[in-house]
Amino acid sequence: MKKILIAIAAWLTAITGAHFALNVNWQVLMNDRLPEAQRKLNVAYIPVT
Amino acid sequence: MFQGFPEIKEALMSNKMQAAFMVAPMAIALRAQGVPVKIVYLGHRYGSAVVVRSDGPVHRVSDLRGRIIAVPSRFSDERLIVFRAMAANGLDAKKDLRMVEMAPPDVAGALAAGAIDAFSMGEPYPSQAEIGGFGRVLFHAKQYWPDYISCVLVVRQDVIDKRPDAVQVLVDGIARSGLWLDEKEKAKKHRLHAADFVGRFYYHQDPKLLRWALTNPIDRVQYEPLSPRRNDFETIVNLMVQTGVLDHAIPFEEFVDTRFAEGAHGKTAWRYEAGDESAK
Repeated sequence: MKKILIAIAAWLTAITGAHFALNVNWQVLMNDRLPEAQRKLNVAYIPVT
Repeated sequence: MFQGFPEIKEALMSNKMQAAFMVAPMAIALRAQGVPVKIVYLGHRYGSAVVVRSDGPVHRVSDLRGRIIAVPSRFSDERLIVFRAMAANGLDAKKDLRMVEMAPPDVAGALAAGAIDAFSMGEPYPSQAEIGGFGRVLFHAKQYWPDYISCVLVVRQDVIDKRPDAVQVLVDGIARSGLWLDEKEKAKKHRLHAADFVGRFYYHQDPKLLRWALTNPIDRVQYEPLSPRRNDFETIVNLMVQTGVLDHAIPFEEFVDTRFAEGAHGKTAWRYEAGDESAK
């Protein structure tokens, strides 16, 4: 039982870590937390001229 | 990156985005509705076309009578150019055509499937239809509208007021990019390189599509002059009023702030060639 729980915990940790690394845009998250004067402007566009 | 102009409008209004490239009439309509945004620069000139099915019956503008044509938004220059071209051929787009609004990435597929007879759209969708062999350009916007404008850079008024330096950096960068893309002897080389990195890293489209759009011919899309000019916008406002998407004309100063374009005067093209680490 203990082995199964450790395996599940390891799997969840690995998946969570992979999600944070691959799917979360940390630059955007950090930018939103900067003082307004230091934030990069977000510029929206669509793939058309 | 967004897939349609209505979503951009919402993101701008909610301050999720502080600036946006959007079709000029939408920016004017937003301002007319009291949304605190201003146009500060243009994205490009030309680069829109009306495309019909290559094996279809439409060979002249007058053949569009009774057909279905897709436009990106009722607040778009792509819609206004249809009105202008139809009027030049003695037709009224309101009565003689059925216009439908469609997100730009969907139009080429809709044309190929026969769901629409034509579309009026910015690049690279006319190029996509041409390369795919199912579409043919009926006319480019420049044939009916000299100095045609499609997308403009819109910035929230609070950002203009609080962070004018940041807006100037943004406008300077666009001005220098435009000069780089239109640099005389190097224009083709620069455009081919831009097609490659924009296609792969920004638009997520096949670079060959953008290569076609940017070089076939080389002036299919132009990147100067990008300063917002009064006459160009008065033409758009008048057409918006005439075609029923704006109640009354609003003055140029109310929706355009020219100071950043003036600040970008005299800027030079980026010094950058493929393989350089950064642009200077």
